[in-house]
Amino acid sequence: MNGDHLIELKHLQKSFGPQKVLRDVNLEIRRGETMVIIGTSGGGKSVILKHCIGLLQPDGGEVVVDGKVISSKGHIDVKTIRKRMGMLFQGAALFDSMNVGENIKFAVREHEKQHSEADLDRIVAETLHMINLNPDFRFKMPSELSGGMKKRLGLARAIALKPEILLYDEPTTGLDPITSDVINDLIIDMQAKLGATNIVVTHDMVSAYKIADRIAMLLDGRIIFVGTPEETRATSNPYVQQFILGQRKLGAETE
Amino acid sequence: MALILDSIGGHSLRLASLLWESLAAKIAKIGEVILLLLRILRRTPWFFTNPSLTLEQFIRIGVASLPLVMVISFFIGAVSAVQAEYQFRGFVPSNYLGTAVCKLVIIESGPVLTALVLAGRVGSAIAAQIGTMKEKEELDAMTVLDLDPLRYLALPRLLSGIIAFPLLVIISDFLSIIGGWIITTLVLNVTTATYIFGLRFLFQPYDVLISMIKAMVFGGIVVLMGYYHGLSAGPGAKGVGQASMKSVVSSCMLILIVDFLIVYIAY
Repeated sequence: MNGDHLIELKHLQKSFGPQKVLRDVNLEIRRGETMVIIGTSGGGKSVILKHCIGLLQPDGGEVVVDGKVISSKGHIDVKTIRKRMGMLFQGAALFDSMNVGENIKFAVREHEKQHSEADLDRIVAETLHMINLNPDFRFKMPSELSGGMKKRLGLARAIALKPEILLYDEPTTGLDPITSDVINDLIIDMQAKLGATNIVVTHDMVSAYKIADRIAMLLDGRIIFVGTPEETRATSNPYVQQFILGQRKLGAETE
Repeated sequence: MALILDSIGGHSLRLASLLWESLAAKIAKIGEVILLLLRILRRTPWFFTNPSLTLEQFIRIGVASLPLVMVISFFIGAVSAVQAEYQFRGFVPSNYLGTAVCKLVIIESGPVLTALVLAGRVGSAIAAQIGTMKEKEELDAMTVLDLDPLRYLALPRLLSGIIAFPLLVIISDFLSIIGGWIITTLVLNVTTATYIFGLRFLFQPYDVLISMIKAMVFGGIVVLMGYYHGLSAGPGAKGVGQASMKSVVSSCMLILIVDFLIVYIAY
């Protein structure tokens, strides 16, 4: 393995019934970088993320995290690697039956038994502060929050255990441009504060250009392009151009 | 003629193939349920780490079901008394009204009807909750946070079901007997002493033991079916609705089948 690569996807294949979602995905994510995976809706971007964290097992190929194969149960306990990861889900996936504070505390309380309730309250306040939210929010229920707030709290819950790898599933989908920008800034901020390696799945090109160190494009179950935002803008790959320019047809003229 | 026979043969083969596929799917589902039960039971030692989770579910499953169980039990006792009096009229002395109510309630109606009603209340609620959590990726979020859903969601519910159902059945039996007593004394002109004589006549603690065993098994069935169908829920409101419905239907069927098996073995 290349020591610079924290996550490697090798010839990843996955089908759901007759539908082949991932045909042959090959991608390397470097330690400390923000890799943004773009692609059409329903193209399998979220499926890649779920493989990275062991929520899905591939039909073929391998997922290697820090030199350890996590896609094969025989090699290593996926839980060990998962403890080093955090994930922000598309719909935030907050626990509806718990208030904001409990959502953040729950995993910390279970995994870090040394903390007293006062410690946990302090962790909640610090985490809320990191995502620029007032500590008073800890008493609110998820149903009382807006879409943007839910995403921020989903992120708060993910970072409470200080993960080394953060996975973001469509972090700005369904948000207005201003709230999207707040989330983009938070993602950049998290990388700076935690030094985490980020994998972000999105089809929001504004977000991709702002937060990415590198951009990968998924098409027809394969990664067809990897490059920096500048390289992405300048590429002559017609499929990438079609996607970033939002054209319905391949090679269509922009007005 | 040969064509007709060929056609009949083809249809028969297709029908046999469909039946086999359906049977194989059912067997596979039974296997999944058994595997799920074993995976939950393997986590039983975790009960001692988080007893508050089980207590919380015990309150939701057991304590919150009390009003419903109390109302239906009272009327089950009342109906049993009225029916028994009608069937006995002219053949059996009213001394045995209490006996009929007691036997019926303890052996059958107490555990079975209580479980059937709770399958609607508890099982459907579990299926809907787990189905919604699956749909909203909350179960995935728990897994990602290394919070095993079987340990934190399934185990507390299963233990609560197994503990709460027998307690609810004891309360149900008691209230049914009270319901029968009120009807027999107020409407059917039977004295309290006669009713109590009937209750004590032929009373066997063994019946109560079997009733409790039934209740524990039914509690497990209702929770397991609710959890299994919640996990298997399809997408959207339709998927969650169907999961709820399937949990109730499968619980009710299993309760009656297992009731027969227990009665057959025990008596």
